[in-house]
Amino acid sequence: MERFSLMRTLAGAAIRSELQYRANAVSSIIGGILFQITGFIVVWIIAARFGQIGDWGLAELTFLYGMRLTSHGIFYAFFSQMFELDRVLITGEFDRYLVRPLPPLMQLFTRKLRINCFGDLIGGSALLIAASSGGVVDWSPIAVVYLLLAVVGGALVEGAVQITLGSLGFRFLQTYPLRASVNEVFNVYGNYPNVIFPTALRAVLTFGLPIAFVAFFPASVLLNRADELSVPAWLASIAPLVGLVLFLIAVRIWRWQSANYQSAGN
Amino acid sequence: MSFVANIPAWRELIRASIRFQFMYRFSVIMGILLAGVTIYLLTVVWTSAYAGQDEVGGIPLKLMLVYLTISNLQSWYLKPGIGFDIVDRVREGQIGFDLTRPVSYPSQLIATAAGDQLGMLPMVVVALPVAAVLGELAAPPSWQAGVGYLASFIIAWFIAVELAMIIGLVAFWTLEMTGFMMVYNLVGGFATGALVPLWFMPDLLRQAVQLLPFQSIVYVPVSIYIGIPATGSMYTAMALQVFWAVVLAGVIAIVWKRALYRTVIQGG
Repeated sequence: MERFSLMRTLAGAAIRSELQYRANAVSSIIGGILFQITGFIVVWIIAARFGQIGDWGLAELTFLYGMRLTSHGIFYAFFSQMFELDRVLITGEFDRYLVRPLPPLMQLFTRKLRINCFGDLIGGSALLIAASSGGVVDWSPIAVVYLLLAVVGGALVEGAVQITLGSLGFRFLQTYPLRASVNEVFNVYGNYPNVIFPTALRAVLTFGLPIAFVAFFPASVLLNRADELSVPAWLASIAPLVGLVLFLIAVRIWRWQSANYQSAGN
Repeated sequence: MSFVANIPAWRELIRASIRFQFMYRFSVIMGILLAGVTIYLLTVVWTSAYAGQDEVGGIPLKLMLVYLTISNLQSWYLKPGIGFDIVDRVREGQIGFDLTRPVSYPSQLIATAAGDQLGMLPMVVVALPVAAVLGELAAPPSWQAGVGYLASFIIAWFIAVELAMIIGLVAFWTLEMTGFMMVYNLVGGFATGALVPLWFMPDLLRQAVQLLPFQSIVYVPVSIYIGIPATGSMYTAMALQVFWAVVLAGVIAIVWKRALYRTVIQGG
Protein backbone atom coordinates (compact mmCIF):
# COMPACT_ATOMS: atom_id res chain seq x y z
CA MET A 1 0.00 0.00 0.00
CA GLU A 2 2.77 2.36 0.95
CA ARG A 3 4.35 1.58 -2.38
CA PHE A 4 1.24 2.80 -4.23
CA SER A 5 1.03 6.04 -2.30
CA LEU A 6 4.71 6.69 -3.10
CA MET A 7 4.03 6.04 -6.77
CA ARG A 8 1.02 8.35 -6.70
CA THR A 9 3.12 11.13 -5.20
CA LEU A 10 5.85 10.71 -7.83
CA ALA A 11 3.36 10.54 -10.71
CA GLY A 12 1.54 13.61 -9.35
CA ALA A 13 4.80 15.57 -9.30
CA ALA A 14 5.54 14.50 -12.88
CA ILE A 15 2.13 15.68 -14.08
CA ARG A 16 2.37 19.02 -12.24
CA SER A 17 5.81 19.74 -13.67
CA GLU A 18 4.53 19.08 -17.17
CA LEU A 19 1.57 21.42 -16.75
CA GLN A 20 3.85 24.32 -15.78
CA TYR A 21 4.43 25.03 -19.46
CA ARG A 22 0.86 25.43 -20.64
CA ALA A 23 1.41 26.59 -24.21
CA ASN A 24 3.82 23.77 -24.90
CA ALA A 25 1.46 21.27 -23.22
CA VAL A 26 -1.42 22.32 -25.44
CA SER A 27 0.67 22.26 -28.62
CA SER A 28 2.05 18.82 -27.66
CA ILE A 29 -1.47 17.44 -27.28
CA ILE A 30 -2.58 18.93 -30.58
CA GLY A 31 0.61 17.62 -32.19
CA GLY A 32 -0.17 14.17 -30.76
CA ILE A 33 -3.66 14.21 -32.26
CA LEU A 34 -2.46 15.41 -35.68
CA PHE A 35 0.32 12.84 -35.72
CA GLN A 36 -2.17 10.00 -35.60
CA ILE A 37 -4.81 11.72 -37.71
CA THR A 38 -2.34 11.79 -40.63
CA GLY A 39 -1.93 8.03 -40.40
CA PHE A 40 -5.67 7.62 -40.25
CA ILE A 41 -6.26 9.87 -43.27
CA VAL A 42 -4.27 7.37 -45.37
CA VAL A 43 -6.55 4.54 -44.23
CA TRP A 44 -9.62 6.70 -44.80
CA ILE A 45 -8.63 7.78 -48.33
CA ILE A 46 -7.90 4.22 -49.43
CA ALA A 47 -11.05 2.79 -47.82
CA ALA A 48 -13.23 5.58 -49.23
CA ARG A 49 -11.89 5.11 -52.74
CA PHE A 50 -11.51 1.31 -52.85
CA GLY A 51 -14.21 0.29 -50.36
CA GLN A 52 -11.99 -2.03 -48.31
CA ILE A 53 -8.53 -3.08 -47.16
CA GLY A 54 -8.17 -6.80 -46.57
CA ASP A 55 -11.96 -7.04 -46.90
CA TRP A 56 -12.44 -4.76 -43.88
CA GLY A 57 -14.76 -1.80 -44.53
CA LEU A 58 -14.16 1.82 -43.48
CA ALA A 59 -16.10 1.56 -40.17
CA GLU A 60 -14.25 -1.62 -39.19
CA LEU A 61 -10.86 -0.15 -40.12
CA THR A 62 -11.72 2.96 -38.09
CA PHE A 63 -12.60 0.80 -35.10
CA LEU A 64 -9.31 -1.10 -35.35
CA TYR A 65 -7.36 2.15 -35.68
CA GLY A 66 -9.21 3.62 -32.68
CA MET A 67 -8.47 0.60 -30.49
CA ARG A 68 -4.79 0.55 -31.39
CA LEU A 69 -4.48 4.29 -30.83
CA THR A 70 -6.22 4.19 -27.44
CA SER A 71 -3.94 1.34 -26.34
CA HIS A 72 -0.92 3.26 -27.53
CA GLY A 73 -2.07 6.32 -25.57
CA ILE A 74 -2.37 4.25 -22.38
CA PHE A 75 1.03 2.68 -23.08
CA TYR A 76 2.54 6.11 -23.57
CA ALA A 77 0.93 7.56 -20.45
CA PHE A 78 2.51 4.89 -18.24
CA PHE A 79 5.65 3.76 -20.04
CA SER A 80 6.89 6.75 -22.04
CA GLN A 81 10.03 6.93 -19.89
CA MET A 82 11.24 3.63 -21.35
CA PHE A 83 12.36 5.85 -24.22
CA GLU A 84 14.63 7.79 -21.83
CA LEU A 85 16.25 4.63 -20.48
CA ASP A 86 19.55 5.05 -22.32
CA ARG A 87 20.13 8.41 -20.67
CA VAL A 88 19.16 7.09 -17.24
CA LEU A 89 21.67 4.24 -17.56
CA ILE A 90 24.51 6.19 -19.16
CA THR A 91 24.42 9.19 -16.80
CA GLY A 92 24.25 6.97 -13.73
CA GLU A 93 20.84 8.34 -12.73
CA PHE A 94 19.92 4.69 -12.22
CA ASP A 95 22.20 4.62 -9.12
CA ARG A 96 19.69 6.78 -7.29
CA TYR A 97 16.85 4.41 -8.13
CA LEU A 98 18.73 1.56 -6.49
CA VAL A 99 18.94 3.21 -3.09
CA ARG A 100 15.31 4.37 -2.88
CA PRO A 101 12.52 2.25 -1.37
CA LEU A 102 10.62 1.59 -4.59
CA PRO A 103 11.40 -0.86 -7.43
CA PRO A 104 13.69 0.91 -9.96
CA LEU A 105 11.33 0.14 -12.85
CA MET A 106 8.49 2.03 -11.11
CA GLN A 107 10.77 4.98 -10.45
CA LEU A 108 11.65 5.03 -14.13
CA PHE A 109 7.97 5.01 -15.13
CA THR A 110 7.09 7.91 -12.83
CA ARG A 111 10.14 9.96 -13.81
CA LYS A 112 8.27 12.25 -16.16
CA LEU A 113 4.98 12.41 -18.05
CA ARG A 114 4.93 12.88 -21.79
CA ILE A 115 1.82 14.88 -22.26
CA ASN A 116 1.19 14.08 -25.93
CA CYS A 117 -0.25 10.74 -24.76
CA PHE A 118 -3.49 12.68 -24.21
CA GLY A 119 -3.50 13.39 -27.95
CA ASP A 120 -3.51 9.63 -28.63
CA LEU A 121 -6.22 9.01 -26.02
CA ILE A 122 -8.49 11.76 -27.38
CA GLY A 123 -7.91 10.74 -31.02
CA GLY A 124 -8.37 7.03 -30.26
CA SER A 125 -11.61 7.55 -28.34
CA ALA A 126 -12.96 9.82 -31.10
CA LEU A 127 -12.29 7.14 -33.71
CA LEU A 128 -13.90 4.44 -31.53
CA ILE A 129 -17.02 6.58 -31.10
CA ALA A 130 -17.16 7.44 -34.81
CA ALA A 131 -16.79 3.78 -35.79
CA SER A 132 -19.39 2.61 -33.25
CA SER A 133 -22.00 5.00 -34.60
CA GLY A 134 -21.68 3.02 -37.85
CA GLY A 135 -23.20 0.07 -35.98
CA VAL A 136 -20.31 -2.37 -36.54
CA VAL A 137 -20.29 -3.61 -32.93
CA ASP A 138 -23.22 -5.07 -30.94
CA TRP A 139 -22.76 -3.16 -27.71
CA SER A 140 -23.64 -5.25 -24.69
CA PRO A 141 -22.26 -4.63 -21.17
CA ILE A 142 -19.88 -7.54 -21.75
CA ALA A 143 -18.64 -6.01 -25.00
CA VAL A 144 -17.92 -2.69 -23.23
CA VAL A 145 -16.00 -4.42 -20.44
CA TYR A 146 -14.10 -6.48 -23.01
CA LEU A 147 -13.17 -3.32 -24.93
CA LEU A 148 -11.80 -1.70 -21.76
CA LEU A 149 -9.81 -4.81 -20.83
CA ALA A 150 -8.54 -5.10 -24.40
CA VAL A 151 -7.18 -1.55 -24.67
CA VAL A 152 -5.38 -1.99 -21.34
CA GLY A 153 -4.12 -5.40 -22.50
CA GLY A 154 -2.85 -3.82 -25.73
CA ALA A 155 -0.95 -1.21 -23.74
CA LEU A 156 0.59 -4.01 -21.64
CA VAL A 157 1.71 -5.86 -24.78
CA GLU A 158 3.51 -2.76 -26.04
CA GLY A 159 4.92 -2.15 -22.56
CA ALA A 160 6.14 -5.76 -22.30
CA VAL A 161 8.01 -5.51 -25.60
CA GLN A 162 9.66 -2.22 -24.64
CA ILE A 163 10.63 -3.45 -21.17
CA THR A 164 12.10 -6.68 -22.55
CA LEU A 165 14.15 -4.85 -25.17
CA GLY A 166 15.05 -2.18 -22.61
CA SER A 167 16.52 -4.77 -20.27
CA LEU A 168 19.15 -5.42 -22.94
CA GLY A 169 20.33 -1.92 -22.02
CA PHE A 170 21.99 -3.30 -18.86
CA ARG A 171 24.44 -5.04 -21.16
CA PHE A 172 24.60 -2.79 -24.23
CA LEU A 173 23.70 0.66 -22.79
CA GLN A 174 22.40 2.01 -26.08
CA THR A 175 19.20 0.28 -27.13
CA TYR A 176 17.14 3.33 -28.08
CA PRO A 177 17.48 2.95 -31.89
CA LEU A 178 16.28 -0.64 -31.64
CA ARG A 179 13.37 0.16 -29.34
CA ALA A 180 12.30 3.20 -31.35
CA SER A 181 12.29 1.13 -34.54
CA VAL A 182 10.23 -1.63 -32.96
CA ASN A 183 7.81 0.99 -31.64
CA GLU A 184 7.55 2.38 -35.16
CA VAL A 185 6.73 -1.07 -36.54
CA PHE A 186 3.95 -1.41 -33.93
CA ASN A 187 2.71 2.06 -34.89
CA VAL A 188 2.40 1.37 -38.60
CA TYR A 189 1.65 -2.36 -38.84
CA GLY A 190 -0.71 -2.49 -35.87
CA ASN A 191 -3.26 -0.23 -37.56
CA TYR A 192 -4.06 -2.61 -40.40
CA PRO A 193 -5.89 -5.94 -40.38
CA ASN A 194 -3.24 -8.63 -40.10
CA VAL A 195 -5.00 -10.63 -42.87
CA ILE A 196 -3.43 -8.48 -45.60
CA PHE A 197 0.00 -9.98 -44.92
CA PRO A 198 1.36 -13.26 -46.33
CA THR A 199 0.88 -16.24 -43.99
CA ALA A 200 4.49 -16.42 -42.76
CA LEU A 201 4.55 -12.74 -41.85
CA ARG A 202 1.18 -13.08 -40.10
CA ALA A 203 2.76 -15.67 -37.83
CA VAL A 204 5.77 -13.41 -37.18
CA LEU A 205 3.48 -10.49 -36.32
CA THR A 206 1.57 -12.74 -33.91
CA PHE A 207 4.16 -14.89 -32.16
CA GLY A 208 7.44 -13.08 -32.94
CA LEU A 209 6.43 -9.48 -32.36
CA PRO A 210 3.00 -9.79 -30.67
CA ILE A 211 1.48 -6.92 -32.68
CA ALA A 212 -1.72 -8.82 -33.51
CA PHE A 213 -2.56 -9.07 -29.79
CA VAL A 214 -2.50 -5.28 -29.33
CA ALA A 215 -5.66 -4.48 -31.29
CA PHE A 216 -6.22 -6.74 -34.28
CA PHE A 217 -7.32 -9.84 -32.32
CA PRO A 218 -9.62 -8.13 -29.81
CA ALA A 219 -11.04 -5.92 -32.60
CA SER A 220 -11.79 -9.06 -34.65
CA VAL A 221 -13.63 -10.48 -31.63
CA LEU A 222 -15.75 -7.35 -31.15
CA LEU A 223 -16.44 -7.06 -34.90
CA ASN A 224 -17.56 -10.70 -35.08
CA ARG A 225 -14.71 -11.60 -37.39
CA ALA A 226 -12.79 -13.94 -35.09
CA ASP A 227 -13.74 -17.00 -37.14
CA GLU A 228 -11.82 -15.62 -40.15
CA LEU A 229 -8.47 -15.61 -38.35
CA SER A 230 -5.58 -17.98 -38.97
CA VAL A 231 -5.44 -18.66 -35.21
CA PRO A 232 -8.21 -20.30 -33.11
CA ALA A 233 -10.92 -17.81 -32.03
CA TRP A 234 -10.29 -18.54 -28.32
CA LEU A 235 -6.66 -17.42 -28.64
CA ALA A 236 -7.79 -14.13 -30.15
CA SER A 237 -10.35 -13.57 -27.42
CA ILE A 238 -7.87 -13.98 -24.56
CA ALA A 239 -5.72 -11.14 -25.97
CA PRO A 240 -6.15 -8.98 -22.81
CA LEU A 241 -4.88 -11.88 -20.68
CA VAL A 242 -1.95 -12.40 -23.07
CA GLY A 243 -1.05 -8.75 -22.49
CA LEU A 244 -0.99 -9.22 -18.73
CA VAL A 245 1.07 -12.43 -18.91
CA LEU A 246 3.61 -10.92 -21.34
CA PHE A 247 3.92 -7.91 -19.07
CA LEU A 248 4.62 -10.02 -15.97
CA ILE A 249 7.22 -12.03 -17.90
CA ALA A 250 8.84 -8.82 -19.12
CA VAL A 251 9.14 -7.48 -15.57
CA ARG A 252 10.81 -10.76 -14.58
CA ILE A 253 13.29 -10.45 -17.45
CA TRP A 254 14.01 -6.87 -16.44
CA ARG A 255 14.77 -7.87 -12.83
CA TRP A 256 16.94 -10.74 -13.96
CA GLN A 257 18.93 -8.56 -16.40
CA SER A 258 19.26 -5.61 -14.02
CA ALA A 259 21.82 -7.65 -12.11
CA ASN A 260 24.17 -6.78 -14.98
CA TYR A 261 23.96 -3.04 -14.26
CA GLN A 262 27.36 -1.41 -14.00
CA SER A 263 27.24 2.11 -12.70
CA ALA A 264 28.86 4.81 -14.78
CA GLY A 265 29.80 6.50 -11.53
CA ASN A 266 28.42 9.77 -10.28
CA MET B 1 33.94 38.35 -56.63
CA SER B 2 32.99 37.36 -53.14
CA PHE B 3 31.22 34.36 -54.64
CA VAL B 4 34.50 32.90 -55.96
CA ALA B 5 36.33 33.88 -52.79
CA ASN B 6 33.74 32.01 -50.71
CA ILE B 7 34.11 28.74 -52.59
CA PRO B 8 36.90 27.31 -50.38
CA ALA B 9 34.82 27.96 -47.25
CA TRP B 10 31.78 26.22 -48.72
CA ARG B 11 33.96 23.32 -49.87
CA GLU B 12 35.22 22.80 -46.33
CA LEU B 13 31.67 22.87 -44.92
CA ILE B 14 30.62 20.29 -47.51
CA ARG B 15 33.59 18.08 -46.56
CA ALA B 16 32.87 18.36 -42.85
CA SER B 17 29.27 17.30 -43.23
CA ILE B 18 30.20 14.40 -45.54
CA ARG B 19 32.48 13.12 -42.75
CA PHE B 20 29.68 13.63 -40.25
CA GLN B 21 27.35 11.38 -42.29
CA PHE B 22 29.97 8.64 -42.32
CA MET B 23 30.29 8.78 -38.55
CA TYR B 24 26.59 8.10 -38.14
CA ARG B 25 26.40 5.10 -40.46
CA PHE B 26 24.45 3.08 -37.93
CA SER B 27 21.55 5.51 -37.66
CA VAL B 28 21.55 5.93 -41.45
CA ILE B 29 21.14 2.16 -41.83
CA MET B 30 18.35 2.20 -39.24
CA GLY B 31 16.70 4.90 -41.37
CA ILE B 32 16.92 2.66 -44.44
CA LEU B 33 15.33 -0.24 -42.59
CA LEU B 34 12.49 1.99 -41.39
CA ALA B 35 11.94 3.28 -44.94
CA GLY B 36 11.86 -0.39 -46.00
CA VAL B 37 9.24 -1.14 -43.36
CA THR B 38 7.05 1.68 -44.71
CA ILE B 39 7.58 0.66 -48.35
CA TYR B 40 6.61 -2.92 -47.61
CA LEU B 41 3.50 -1.89 -45.66
CA LEU B 42 2.32 0.45 -48.41
CA THR B 43 2.92 -2.27 -51.00
CA VAL B 44 0.82 -4.78 -49.08
CA VAL B 45 -1.94 -2.28 -48.23
CA TRP B 46 -2.35 -0.95 -51.77
CA THR B 47 -2.18 -4.45 -53.30
CA SER B 48 -4.94 -5.48 -50.92
CA ALA B 49 -6.99 -2.38 -51.82
CA TYR B 50 -6.70 -3.15 -55.56
CA ALA B 51 -8.19 -6.57 -54.69
CA GLY B 52 -7.08 -8.28 -57.89
CA GLN B 53 -8.11 -5.49 -60.30
CA ASP B 54 -5.43 -4.74 -62.90
CA GLU B 55 -6.00 -1.02 -62.76
CA VAL B 56 -8.05 1.55 -60.87
CA GLY B 57 -8.74 5.02 -62.29
CA GLY B 58 -6.34 4.29 -65.17
CA ILE B 59 -3.45 3.47 -62.82
CA PRO B 60 -2.12 -0.10 -63.07
CA LEU B 61 -1.16 -1.68 -59.74
CA LYS B 62 2.45 -2.15 -60.79
CA LEU B 63 2.84 1.54 -61.67
CA MET B 64 1.28 2.45 -58.34
CA LEU B 65 3.79 0.28 -56.46
CA VAL B 66 6.73 1.74 -58.39
CA TYR B 67 5.42 5.22 -57.50
CA LEU B 68 5.21 4.36 -53.79
CA THR B 69 8.64 2.71 -53.70
CA ILE B 70 10.48 5.56 -55.46
CA SER B 71 8.56 8.16 -53.41
CA ASN B 72 9.51 6.65 -50.09
CA LEU B 73 13.08 6.02 -51.15
CA GLN B 74 13.27 9.66 -52.12
CA SER B 75 11.64 10.93 -48.92
CA TRP B 76 14.14 8.87 -46.95
CA TYR B 77 17.02 10.42 -48.89
CA LEU B 78 15.74 14.01 -48.89
CA LYS B 79 15.55 14.80 -45.20
CA PRO B 80 17.64 17.90 -44.62
CA GLY B 81 18.66 18.01 -40.96
CA ILE B 82 19.57 21.70 -41.07
CA GLY B 83 16.24 22.75 -39.54
CA PHE B 84 17.16 20.99 -36.28
CA ASP B 85 20.75 22.25 -36.54
CA ILE B 86 19.58 25.86 -36.57
CA VAL B 87 17.35 25.34 -33.52
CA ASP B 88 20.18 23.64 -31.60
CA ARG B 89 22.72 26.30 -32.45
CA VAL B 90 20.37 29.14 -31.51
CA ARG B 91 19.56 27.43 -28.21
CA GLU B 92 23.19 26.78 -27.33
CA GLY B 93 24.35 30.21 -28.48
CA GLN B 94 26.76 28.77 -31.07
CA ILE B 95 24.88 30.75 -33.68
CA GLY B 96 27.13 33.65 -32.64
CA PHE B 97 30.17 31.91 -34.17
CA ASP B 98 28.24 31.09 -37.33
CA LEU B 99 27.34 34.73 -37.76
CA THR B 100 30.91 35.98 -37.40
CA ARG B 101 32.15 33.75 -40.23
CA PRO B 102 32.94 35.60 -43.45
CA VAL B 103 30.39 33.67 -45.55
CA SER B 104 26.68 34.28 -45.00
CA TYR B 105 24.81 31.91 -42.69
CA PRO B 106 22.19 30.79 -45.26
CA SER B 107 24.98 29.84 -47.68
CA GLN B 108 26.74 27.90 -44.89
CA LEU B 109 23.52 25.98 -44.39
CA ILE B 110 23.18 25.14 -48.07
CA ALA B 111 26.79 23.90 -48.16
CA THR B 112 26.16 21.77 -45.05
CA ALA B 113 23.00 20.32 -46.55
CA ALA B 114 24.83 19.53 -49.81
CA GLY B 115 27.52 17.70 -47.86
CA ASP B 116 24.89 15.72 -45.97
CA GLN B 117 23.33 14.54 -49.23
CA LEU B 118 26.68 13.66 -50.80
CA GLY B 119 27.74 11.80 -47.67
CA MET B 120 24.55 9.74 -47.80
CA LEU B 121 24.99 8.93 -51.49
CA PRO B 122 26.94 5.67 -50.90
CA MET B 123 24.06 4.53 -48.69
CA VAL B 124 21.77 4.57 -51.71
CA VAL B 125 23.63 1.42 -52.79
CA VAL B 126 22.31 -0.24 -49.62
CA ALA B 127 18.85 1.30 -49.88
CA LEU B 128 18.13 0.31 -53.51
CA PRO B 129 18.20 -3.49 -53.04
CA VAL B 130 16.15 -3.14 -49.82
CA ALA B 131 13.54 -1.16 -51.74
CA ALA B 132 13.62 -3.57 -54.68
CA VAL B 133 12.96 -6.57 -52.43
CA LEU B 134 10.30 -4.96 -50.24
CA GLY B 135 8.61 -2.83 -52.89
CA GLU B 136 8.66 -2.64 -56.66
CA LEU B 137 11.32 -0.94 -58.77
CA ALA B 138 11.28 -0.33 -62.52
CA ALA B 139 13.20 1.87 -64.95
CA PRO B 140 11.44 5.01 -66.20
CA PRO B 141 9.46 4.43 -69.44
CA SER B 142 11.82 6.59 -71.56
CA TRP B 143 15.26 8.15 -71.25
CA GLN B 144 13.63 11.58 -71.36
CA ALA B 145 11.63 10.69 -68.27
CA GLY B 146 14.84 9.53 -66.57
CA VAL B 147 16.75 12.72 -67.35
CA GLY B 148 13.70 14.83 -66.45
CA TYR B 149 13.51 13.02 -63.12
CA LEU B 150 17.14 13.78 -62.27
CA ALA B 151 16.68 17.47 -63.09
CA SER B 152 13.43 17.61 -61.15
CA PHE B 153 15.05 15.75 -58.23
CA ILE B 154 17.75 18.42 -57.91
CA ILE B 155 15.13 21.19 -57.77
CA ALA B 156 13.23 19.08 -55.22
CA TRP B 157 16.35 18.89 -53.05
CA PHE B 158 16.71 22.66 -53.21
CA ILE B 159 13.06 23.19 -52.18
CA ALA B 160 13.44 20.68 -49.31
CA VAL B 161 16.50 22.58 -48.05
CA GLU B 162 14.70 25.91 -48.35
CA LEU B 163 11.70 24.67 -46.37
CA ALA B 164 13.93 23.19 -43.66
CA MET B 165 15.76 26.51 -43.45
CA ILE B 166 12.54 28.53 -43.07
CA ILE B 167 11.35 26.23 -40.28
CA GLY B 168 14.74 26.42 -38.57
CA LEU B 169 14.72 30.23 -38.73
CA VAL B 170 11.54 30.26 -36.63
CA ALA B 171 13.92 29.45 -33.75
CA PHE B 172 15.06 33.06 -33.82
CA TRP B 173 11.60 33.97 -32.52
CA THR B 174 10.71 31.04 -30.28
CA LEU B 175 12.63 28.05 -28.98
CA GLU B 176 9.56 26.10 -27.90
CA MET B 177 8.97 24.43 -31.21
CA THR B 178 8.53 20.70 -30.60
CA GLY B 179 4.79 20.86 -31.19
CA PHE B 180 5.25 23.12 -34.19
CA MET B 181 7.92 20.87 -35.75
CA MET B 182 5.66 17.87 -35.30
CA VAL B 183 2.77 19.54 -37.09
CA TYR B 184 5.09 20.67 -39.86
CA ASN B 185 6.60 17.20 -40.34
CA LEU B 186 3.20 15.60 -40.52
CA VAL B 187 1.44 18.03 -42.78
CA GLY B 188 4.59 18.15 -44.87
CA GLY B 189 4.98 14.36 -44.85
CA PHE B 190 1.45 13.80 -46.05
CA ALA B 191 1.32 16.71 -48.52
CA THR B 192 4.41 15.47 -50.39
CA GLY B 193 2.22 12.65 -51.74
CA ALA B 194 4.59 9.91 -50.54
CA LEU B 195 1.82 7.93 -48.80
CA VAL B 196 -1.09 8.62 -51.15
CA PRO B 197 -0.42 10.00 -54.65
CA LEU B 198 -2.41 13.12 -55.50
CA TRP B 199 -4.48 11.34 -58.15
CA PHE B 200 -6.16 9.16 -55.50
CA MET B 201 -6.90 12.01 -53.07
CA PRO B 202 -10.48 13.32 -52.75
CA ASP B 203 -10.93 16.52 -54.81
CA LEU B 204 -10.94 19.05 -51.96
CA LEU B 205 -7.87 17.60 -50.30
CA ARG B 206 -6.02 17.39 -53.60
CA GLN B 207 -6.78 21.02 -54.42
CA ALA B 208 -5.48 22.07 -51.00
CA VAL B 209 -2.29 20.03 -51.45
CA GLN B 210 -1.76 21.50 -54.93
CA LEU B 211 -1.61 24.98 -53.41
CA LEU B 212 1.29 23.98 -51.12
CA PRO B 213 4.98 23.65 -52.01
CA PHE B 214 5.36 20.13 -50.52
CA GLN B 215 4.18 18.22 -53.59
CA SER B 216 7.23 19.60 -55.44
CA ILE B 217 9.50 17.59 -53.13
CA VAL B 218 8.16 14.10 -53.89
CA TYR B 219 5.03 13.90 -56.02
CA VAL B 220 6.22 16.10 -58.90
CA PRO B 221 9.61 14.43 -59.54
CA VAL B 222 8.29 10.90 -59.07
CA SER B 223 5.34 11.57 -61.39
CA ILE B 224 7.91 12.53 -64.04
CA TYR B 225 9.84 9.32 -63.33
CA ILE B 226 6.84 7.05 -63.92
CA GLY B 227 5.86 8.92 -67.10
CA ILE B 228 2.68 10.71 -65.98
CA PRO B 229 3.97 14.19 -65.07
CA ALA B 230 2.00 16.11 -62.45
CA THR B 231 0.90 19.03 -64.61
CA GLY B 232 0.54 17.12 -67.89
CA SER B 233 4.02 17.80 -69.27
CA MET B 234 7.32 17.52 -67.49
CA TYR B 235 8.35 21.03 -68.53
CA THR B 236 5.40 22.70 -66.85
CA ALA B 237 5.92 20.39 -63.85
CA MET B 238 9.49 21.60 -63.48
CA ALA B 239 8.37 25.20 -64.08
CA LEU B 240 6.07 24.79 -61.06
CA GLN B 241 9.02 23.58 -58.99
CA VAL B 242 11.20 26.49 -60.11
CA PHE B 243 8.37 28.87 -59.21
CA TRP B 244 8.35 27.52 -55.64
CA ALA B 245 12.15 27.52 -55.39
CA VAL B 246 12.17 31.23 -56.26
CA VAL B 247 9.25 32.15 -53.97
CA LEU B 248 10.84 30.34 -51.02
CA ALA B 249 14.21 31.98 -51.69
CA GLY B 250 12.40 35.33 -51.45
CA VAL B 251 10.78 34.29 -48.17
CA ILE B 252 14.16 33.26 -46.75
CA ALA B 253 15.73 36.58 -47.76
CA ILE B 254 13.00 38.50 -45.90
CA VAL B 255 12.88 36.23 -42.83
CA TRP B 256 16.67 36.10 -42.53
CA LYS B 257 16.97 39.90 -42.55
CA ARG B 258 14.50 40.16 -39.68
CA ALA B 259 16.00 37.21 -37.81
CA LEU B 260 19.39 38.93 -37.73
CA TYR B 261 17.87 41.90 -35.91
CA ARG B 262 16.29 39.56 -33.38
CA THR B 263 19.44 37.66 -32.56
CA VAL B 264 20.22 37.57 -28.87
CA ILE B 265 23.26 35.54 -27.93
CA GLN B 266 22.63 33.84 -24.62
CA GLY B 267 26.28 33.72 -23.66
CA GLY B 268 28.37 30.72 -24.63
